[in-house]
Amino acid sequence: MTANPQEAAGSGGAAAAAAAPSLFALFLVCLKIGMFSFGGGLSGWLHQEFVRRHGWIEDDDFASLLAIAQMLPGANVVNLVICMGDQLRGAAGAAIGVFGFLVGPFLAVIALSTAFDRLPDVAALEAASQGVAFAAIGLLLVICLRGVQRATRFPPGLVVVAVTAICVGLLRWPLIPAVLVIAPLSVALAWRRA
Amino acid sequence: MRDDTLIGLIFVFVPLSLLSIGGGSAIIAAIQHEAVVVRGWIDSREFINLFAIARAAPGPGTMLGTLIGWKVAGWSGALVATLALYLPSSLLCYGVLKATNSHRDKKWHRAAREGLAPVGTGLVIAGVIAIFRLSGGGVLGAGIAGASAAVLLLAPRFPTLAVLGLGAAAPFVGQLIVP
Repeated sequence: MTANPQEAAGSGGAAAAAAAPSLFALFLVCLKIGMFSFGGGLSGWLHQEFVRRHGWIEDDDFASLLAIAQMLPGANVVNLVICMGDQLRGAAGAAIGVFGFLVGPFLAVIALSTAFDRLPDVAALEAASQGVAFAAIGLLLVICLRGVQRATRFPPGLVVVAVTAICVGLLRWPLIPAVLVIAPLSVALAWRRA
Repeated sequence: MRDDTLIGLIFVFVPLSLLSIGGGSAIIAAIQHEAVVVRGWIDSREFINLFAIARAAPGPGTMLGTLIGWKVAGWSGALVATLALYLPSSLLCYGVLKATNSHRDKKWHRAAREGLAPVGTGLVIAGVIAIFRLSGGGVLGAGIAGASAAVLLLAPRFPTLAVLGLGAAAPFVGQLIVP
Protein backbone atom coordinates (compact mmCIF):
# COMPACT_ATOMS: atom_id res chain seq x y z
CA MET A 1 0.00 0.00 0.00
CA THR A 2 3.00 2.30 0.12
CA ALA A 3 3.61 2.61 -3.61
CA ASN A 4 1.23 4.14 -6.08
CA PRO A 5 0.16 1.90 -8.99
CA GLN A 6 2.65 3.36 -11.48
CA GLU A 7 5.54 2.72 -9.15
CA ALA A 8 4.41 -0.81 -8.47
CA ALA A 9 4.10 -1.53 -12.17
CA GLY A 10 7.50 0.03 -12.79
CA SER A 11 9.19 -2.25 -10.28
CA GLY A 12 8.48 -5.21 -12.56
CA GLY A 13 7.83 -7.31 -9.48
CA ALA A 14 4.88 -9.04 -7.94
CA ALA A 15 1.37 -7.78 -8.52
CA ALA A 16 0.69 -4.67 -6.45
CA ALA A 17 -2.20 -5.82 -4.32
CA ALA A 18 -3.43 -9.33 -4.87
CA ALA A 19 -6.53 -10.29 -2.89
CA ALA A 20 -5.79 -11.22 0.71
CA PRO A 21 -5.42 -15.00 1.05
CA SER A 22 -7.83 -17.21 2.96
CA LEU A 23 -6.70 -18.26 6.43
CA PHE A 24 -6.21 -21.77 5.11
CA ALA A 25 -3.99 -20.59 2.24
CA LEU A 26 -1.97 -18.54 4.74
CA PHE A 27 -1.65 -21.58 6.99
CA LEU A 28 -0.50 -23.80 4.14
CA VAL A 29 2.18 -21.39 2.96
CA CYS A 30 3.52 -20.94 6.49
CA LEU A 31 3.45 -24.71 7.06
CA LYS A 32 5.39 -25.27 3.85
CA ILE A 33 8.03 -22.68 4.74
CA GLY A 34 8.36 -24.06 8.26
CA MET A 35 8.84 -27.62 7.04
CA PHE A 36 11.19 -26.98 4.14
CA SER A 37 13.33 -24.03 5.23
CA PHE A 38 16.51 -26.02 5.79
CA GLY A 39 19.71 -24.07 6.27
CA GLY A 40 18.25 -20.80 7.54
CA GLY A 41 17.46 -17.80 5.34
CA LEU A 42 13.86 -17.92 6.51
CA SER A 43 13.11 -14.31 5.75
CA GLY A 44 14.20 -15.15 2.20
CA TRP A 45 11.62 -17.92 2.07
CA LEU A 46 8.96 -15.58 3.41
CA HIS A 47 9.89 -13.00 0.77
CA GLN A 48 9.84 -15.64 -1.95
CA GLU A 49 6.33 -16.81 -1.03
CA PHE A 50 4.54 -13.72 0.31
CA VAL A 51 5.99 -11.14 -2.07
CA ARG A 52 7.19 -12.83 -5.22
CA ARG A 53 5.06 -15.94 -5.63
CA HIS A 54 1.70 -14.84 -4.22
CA GLY A 55 1.95 -11.05 -4.36
CA TRP A 56 0.22 -10.70 -0.99
CA ILE A 57 2.73 -8.19 0.38
CA GLU A 58 4.59 -5.42 -1.43
CA ASP A 59 8.37 -5.24 -1.44
CA ASP A 60 8.51 -1.97 0.49
CA ASP A 61 6.04 -3.20 3.10
CA PHE A 62 8.03 -6.40 3.44
CA ALA A 63 11.28 -4.53 4.02
CA SER A 64 9.80 -2.13 6.57
CA LEU A 65 8.03 -4.95 8.43
CA LEU A 66 11.33 -6.82 8.45
CA ALA A 67 13.03 -3.85 10.10
CA ILE A 68 10.31 -3.74 12.78
CA ALA A 69 10.48 -7.52 13.26
CA GLN A 70 14.23 -7.30 13.83
CA MET A 71 13.96 -4.49 16.34
CA LEU A 72 11.48 -6.26 18.61
CA PRO A 73 12.50 -9.17 20.84
CA GLY A 74 11.73 -12.65 19.58
CA ALA A 75 12.80 -14.69 16.57
CA ASN A 76 12.84 -12.22 13.68
CA VAL A 77 11.05 -14.52 11.28
CA VAL A 78 8.29 -15.34 13.77
CA ASN A 79 7.73 -11.62 14.28
CA LEU A 80 7.73 -11.14 10.53
CA VAL A 81 5.06 -13.84 10.14
CA ILE A 82 2.99 -12.06 12.80
CA CYS A 83 3.36 -8.71 11.01
CA MET A 84 2.40 -10.10 7.62
CA GLY A 85 -0.34 -12.38 8.96
CA ASP A 86 -1.85 -9.41 10.77
CA GLN A 87 -1.64 -7.17 7.72
CA LEU A 88 -3.37 -9.81 5.58
CA ARG A 89 -5.96 -11.31 7.92
CA GLY A 90 -5.80 -9.56 11.28
CA ALA A 91 -5.29 -11.36 14.59
CA ALA A 92 -6.47 -14.72 13.21
CA GLY A 93 -3.99 -14.40 10.35
CA ALA A 94 -1.13 -13.69 12.74
CA ALA A 95 -2.04 -16.60 15.04
CA ILE A 96 -2.62 -19.14 12.27
CA GLY A 97 0.49 -18.01 10.43
CA VAL A 98 2.71 -18.53 13.48
CA PHE A 99 1.09 -21.86 14.29
CA GLY A 100 1.58 -23.12 10.74
CA PHE A 101 5.10 -21.76 10.70
CA LEU A 102 6.23 -23.46 13.93
CA VAL A 103 4.41 -26.81 13.92
CA GLY A 104 6.65 -28.32 11.22
CA PRO A 105 9.98 -27.37 12.84
CA PHE A 106 8.60 -28.44 16.23
CA LEU A 107 8.08 -32.00 15.00
CA ALA A 108 11.21 -31.91 12.83
CA VAL A 109 13.66 -31.12 15.65
CA ILE A 110 12.16 -33.86 17.82
CA ALA A 111 12.31 -36.39 14.97
CA LEU A 112 15.90 -35.39 14.18
CA SER A 113 17.00 -35.61 17.78
CA THR A 114 15.47 -39.09 18.02
CA ALA A 115 17.32 -40.13 14.87
CA PHE A 116 20.56 -38.36 15.82
CA ASP A 117 21.94 -41.08 18.10
CA ARG A 118 21.68 -43.64 15.31
CA LEU A 119 23.63 -41.68 12.70
CA PRO A 120 27.04 -43.36 12.30
CA ASP A 121 28.89 -40.67 10.35
CA VAL A 122 27.96 -37.03 10.25
CA ALA A 123 30.79 -35.74 8.03
CA ALA A 124 28.78 -36.08 4.82
CA LEU A 125 25.75 -34.59 6.55
CA GLU A 126 27.92 -31.66 7.63
CA ALA A 127 29.09 -30.93 4.08
CA ALA A 128 25.57 -31.21 2.71
CA SER A 129 24.06 -28.91 5.32
CA GLN A 130 26.84 -26.38 4.65
CA GLY A 131 25.82 -26.41 1.01
CA VAL A 132 22.16 -25.94 1.96
CA ALA A 133 23.09 -23.03 4.21
CA PHE A 134 24.93 -21.28 1.36
CA ALA A 135 22.01 -21.84 -0.99
CA ALA A 136 19.78 -20.33 1.69
CA ILE A 137 22.00 -17.23 1.66
CA GLY A 138 20.95 -16.94 -1.97
CA LEU A 139 17.37 -16.46 -0.75
CA LEU A 140 18.55 -13.50 1.33
CA LEU A 141 20.52 -12.08 -1.60
CA VAL A 142 17.26 -11.87 -3.53
CA ILE A 143 15.81 -9.61 -0.81
CA CYS A 144 18.99 -7.50 -0.91
CA LEU A 145 18.84 -7.09 -4.68
CA ARG A 146 15.14 -6.26 -4.73
CA GLY A 147 15.57 -3.81 -1.88
CA VAL A 148 18.50 -2.05 -3.52
CA GLN A 149 16.62 -1.96 -6.80
CA ARG A 150 13.67 -0.22 -5.17
CA ALA A 151 15.93 2.09 -3.19
CA THR A 152 17.48 3.44 -6.41
CA ARG A 153 14.20 5.29 -7.06
CA PHE A 154 15.14 7.56 -4.18
CA PRO A 155 18.94 7.98 -3.88
CA PRO A 156 18.99 8.93 -0.18
CA GLY A 157 17.32 5.55 0.45
CA LEU A 158 20.27 3.91 -1.25
CA VAL A 159 22.59 5.73 1.15
CA VAL A 160 20.51 4.44 4.08
CA VAL A 161 20.84 0.86 2.79
CA ALA A 162 24.62 1.26 2.47
CA VAL A 163 25.11 2.95 5.85
CA THR A 164 23.01 0.30 7.64
CA ALA A 165 24.85 -2.55 5.94
CA ILE A 166 28.28 -1.05 6.68
CA CYS A 167 27.61 -0.13 10.32
CA VAL A 168 25.87 -3.37 11.35
CA GLY A 169 27.48 -5.80 8.89
CA LEU A 170 31.08 -4.66 8.40
CA LEU A 171 31.75 -2.54 11.50
CA ARG A 172 29.62 -4.88 13.66
CA TRP A 173 27.93 -2.13 15.60
CA PRO A 174 25.16 -3.49 17.84
CA LEU A 175 21.94 -3.66 15.85
CA ILE A 176 19.51 -1.88 18.16
CA PRO A 177 21.41 1.39 18.80
CA ALA A 178 22.50 1.54 15.17
CA VAL A 179 18.91 1.22 13.96
CA LEU A 180 17.70 3.69 16.60
CA VAL A 181 20.03 6.29 15.04
CA ILE A 182 19.62 5.42 11.36
CA ALA A 183 15.86 4.73 11.24
CA PRO A 184 14.65 8.16 12.43
CA LEU A 185 16.96 9.87 9.91
CA SER A 186 15.64 7.64 7.14
CA VAL A 187 12.03 8.27 8.18
CA ALA A 188 12.69 12.02 8.22
CA LEU A 189 14.04 11.79 4.66
CA ALA A 190 10.93 9.89 3.58
CA TRP A 191 8.75 12.49 5.33
CA ARG A 192 10.41 15.38 3.47
CA ARG A 193 10.05 13.55 0.18
CA ALA A 194 6.31 12.96 0.67
CA MET B 1 9.59 -33.24 40.14
CA ARG B 2 8.23 -33.20 36.60
CA ASP B 3 6.04 -30.21 37.36
CA ASP B 4 9.08 -28.48 38.81
CA THR B 5 10.90 -29.04 35.55
CA LEU B 6 8.04 -27.59 33.50
CA ILE B 7 7.89 -24.55 35.74
CA GLY B 8 11.66 -24.27 35.44
CA LEU B 9 11.34 -24.22 31.65
CA ILE B 10 8.83 -21.37 31.92
CA PHE B 11 11.09 -19.42 34.25
CA VAL B 12 14.07 -19.84 31.94
CA PHE B 13 12.44 -19.22 28.57
CA VAL B 14 9.84 -16.50 29.21
CA PRO B 15 12.43 -13.85 30.21
CA LEU B 16 14.73 -14.93 27.39
CA SER B 17 11.83 -14.58 24.95
CA LEU B 18 11.47 -10.93 25.88
CA LEU B 19 15.23 -10.38 25.93
CA SER B 20 15.95 -11.86 22.50
CA ILE B 21 16.32 -8.43 20.94
CA GLY B 22 17.75 -8.61 17.46
CA GLY B 23 16.68 -12.21 17.04
CA GLY B 24 17.08 -15.68 18.45
CA SER B 25 20.84 -15.81 18.06
CA ALA B 26 21.08 -13.16 20.78
CA ILE B 27 20.01 -15.64 23.47
CA ILE B 28 21.82 -18.85 22.47
CA ALA B 29 24.60 -18.17 24.96
CA ALA B 30 22.09 -17.44 27.72
CA ILE B 31 20.15 -20.64 26.96
CA GLN B 32 23.41 -22.58 27.21
CA HIS B 33 24.24 -20.95 30.53
CA GLU B 34 20.80 -21.60 32.03
CA ALA B 35 20.33 -25.17 30.74
CA VAL B 36 23.87 -26.42 31.36
CA VAL B 37 25.32 -24.40 34.23
CA VAL B 38 22.41 -23.09 36.29
CA ARG B 39 19.80 -25.83 35.92
CA GLY B 40 22.04 -28.75 34.93
CA TRP B 41 19.36 -30.14 32.59
CA ILE B 42 21.97 -31.26 30.04
CA ASP B 43 25.78 -31.29 29.81
CA SER B 44 27.86 -29.19 27.39
CA ARG B 45 28.31 -32.00 24.90
CA GLU B 46 24.57 -32.61 24.74
CA PHE B 47 24.02 -28.89 24.29
CA ILE B 48 26.37 -28.80 21.30
CA ASN B 49 24.51 -31.77 19.79
CA LEU B 50 21.13 -30.12 20.29
CA PHE B 51 22.46 -26.89 18.81
CA ALA B 52 23.66 -28.79 15.73
CA ILE B 53 20.28 -30.53 15.39
CA ALA B 54 18.39 -27.23 15.65
CA ARG B 55 20.62 -25.81 12.92
CA ALA B 56 20.16 -28.82 10.64
CA ALA B 57 16.38 -28.83 11.07
CA PRO B 58 14.12 -26.44 9.17
CA GLY B 59 12.66 -23.43 10.96
CA PRO B 60 14.10 -20.81 13.31
CA GLY B 61 17.30 -21.60 15.22
CA THR B 62 15.56 -20.99 18.54
CA MET B 63 13.82 -24.36 18.15
CA LEU B 64 16.84 -25.25 20.29
CA GLY B 65 14.57 -24.37 23.22
CA THR B 66 12.00 -26.92 22.06
CA LEU B 67 14.73 -29.57 21.97
CA ILE B 68 15.87 -28.78 25.50
CA GLY B 69 12.27 -29.06 26.71
CA TRP B 70 11.98 -32.38 24.88
CA LYS B 71 15.19 -33.67 26.48
CA VAL B 72 14.17 -32.79 30.03
CA ALA B 73 10.43 -33.51 30.02
CA GLY B 74 9.32 -35.20 26.79
CA TRP B 75 6.33 -33.93 24.83
CA SER B 76 4.98 -31.67 27.56
CA GLY B 77 8.45 -30.18 28.04
CA ALA B 78 8.80 -29.51 24.33
CA LEU B 79 5.39 -27.84 24.22
CA VAL B 80 5.94 -25.75 27.35
CA ALA B 81 9.40 -24.62 26.21
CA THR B 82 8.11 -23.68 22.76
CA LEU B 83 5.21 -21.66 24.13
CA ALA B 84 7.42 -20.00 26.75
CA LEU B 85 9.95 -19.03 24.11
CA TYR B 86 7.62 -17.75 21.37
CA LEU B 87 4.40 -16.59 23.01
CA PRO B 88 5.64 -13.59 25.05
CA SER B 89 7.63 -12.03 22.20
CA SER B 90 4.80 -12.74 19.76
CA LEU B 91 2.22 -11.03 21.95
CA LEU B 92 4.52 -8.04 22.35
CA CYS B 93 5.05 -7.84 18.60
CA TYR B 94 1.31 -8.02 17.99
CA GLY B 95 0.67 -5.34 20.60
CA VAL B 96 3.16 -2.98 18.97
CA LEU B 97 1.55 -3.57 15.58
CA LYS B 98 -1.93 -2.86 16.94
CA ALA B 99 -0.73 0.31 18.61
CA THR B 100 0.72 1.68 15.37
CA ASN B 101 -1.63 0.22 12.73
CA SER B 102 -4.56 2.41 13.73
CA HIS B 103 -2.49 5.29 12.35
CA ARG B 104 -1.88 3.54 9.06
CA ASP B 105 -3.47 6.26 6.94
CA LYS B 106 -1.56 9.10 8.53
CA LYS B 107 1.31 10.71 6.71
CA TRP B 108 3.85 9.88 9.43
CA HIS B 109 2.94 6.21 9.29
CA ARG B 110 3.54 6.10 5.58
CA ALA B 111 6.82 7.96 6.02
CA ALA B 112 7.79 5.50 8.76
CA ARG B 113 7.14 2.52 6.53
CA GLU B 114 8.98 4.08 3.59
CA GLY B 115 11.86 5.14 5.80
CA LEU B 116 12.17 1.74 7.44
CA ALA B 117 12.27 -0.16 4.14
CA PRO B 118 15.89 0.74 3.25
CA VAL B 119 16.91 0.07 6.86
CA GLY B 120 15.38 -3.41 6.56
CA THR B 121 17.25 -4.03 3.31
CA GLY B 122 20.51 -2.85 4.90
CA LEU B 123 19.96 -5.21 7.83
CA VAL B 124 19.50 -8.18 5.51
CA ILE B 125 22.78 -7.29 3.79
CA ALA B 126 24.42 -7.04 7.22
CA GLY B 127 22.94 -10.44 8.09
CA VAL B 128 24.39 -11.99 4.94
CA ILE B 129 27.81 -10.55 5.83
CA ALA B 130 27.55 -11.94 9.37
CA ILE B 131 26.48 -15.42 8.21
CA PHE B 132 29.31 -15.49 5.72
CA ARG B 133 31.83 -14.47 8.33
CA LEU B 134 30.62 -17.14 10.76
CA SER B 135 30.50 -19.95 8.23
CA GLY B 136 33.87 -19.19 6.65
CA GLY B 137 32.08 -19.22 3.30
CA GLY B 138 34.99 -18.82 0.87
CA VAL B 139 34.73 -19.09 -2.90
CA LEU B 140 32.53 -22.20 -2.82
CA GLY B 141 30.05 -20.59 -0.44
CA ALA B 142 29.89 -17.37 -2.44
CA GLY B 143 29.47 -19.39 -5.62
CA ILE B 144 26.60 -21.45 -4.22
CA ALA B 145 24.86 -18.40 -2.74
CA GLY B 146 25.26 -16.43 -5.98
CA ALA B 147 24.07 -19.30 -8.15
CA SER B 148 21.07 -19.88 -5.92
CA ALA B 149 20.10 -16.19 -6.03
CA ALA B 150 20.48 -16.22 -9.82
CA VAL B 151 18.18 -19.24 -10.18
CA LEU B 152 15.58 -17.67 -7.87
CA LEU B 153 15.65 -14.37 -9.75
CA LEU B 154 15.68 -15.76 -13.28
CA ALA B 155 13.27 -18.67 -12.70
CA PRO B 156 10.75 -17.48 -10.07
CA ARG B 157 8.68 -20.65 -10.51
CA PHE B 158 11.62 -22.97 -9.77
CA PRO B 159 10.86 -24.60 -6.38
CA THR B 160 12.83 -23.05 -3.54
CA LEU B 161 13.32 -26.48 -1.97
CA ALA B 162 14.99 -27.73 -5.17
CA VAL B 163 17.40 -24.78 -4.98
CA LEU B 164 18.38 -25.91 -1.48
CA GLY B 165 18.74 -29.49 -2.75
CA LEU B 166 21.16 -28.34 -5.44
CA GLY B 167 23.02 -26.45 -2.72
CA ALA B 168 23.32 -29.66 -0.69
CA ALA B 169 24.86 -31.44 -3.69
CA ALA B 170 27.22 -28.60 -4.59
CA PRO B 171 30.01 -29.28 -2.03
CA PHE B 172 30.32 -32.85 -3.34
CA VAL B 173 30.48 -31.67 -6.94
CA GLY B 174 33.05 -29.11 -5.79
CA GLN B 175 35.16 -31.90 -4.30
CA LEU B 176 35.13 -33.74 -7.64
CA ILE B 177 36.36 -30.67 -9.52
CA VAL B 178 38.90 -29.53 -6.93
CA PRO B 179 39.92 -32.65 -4.97
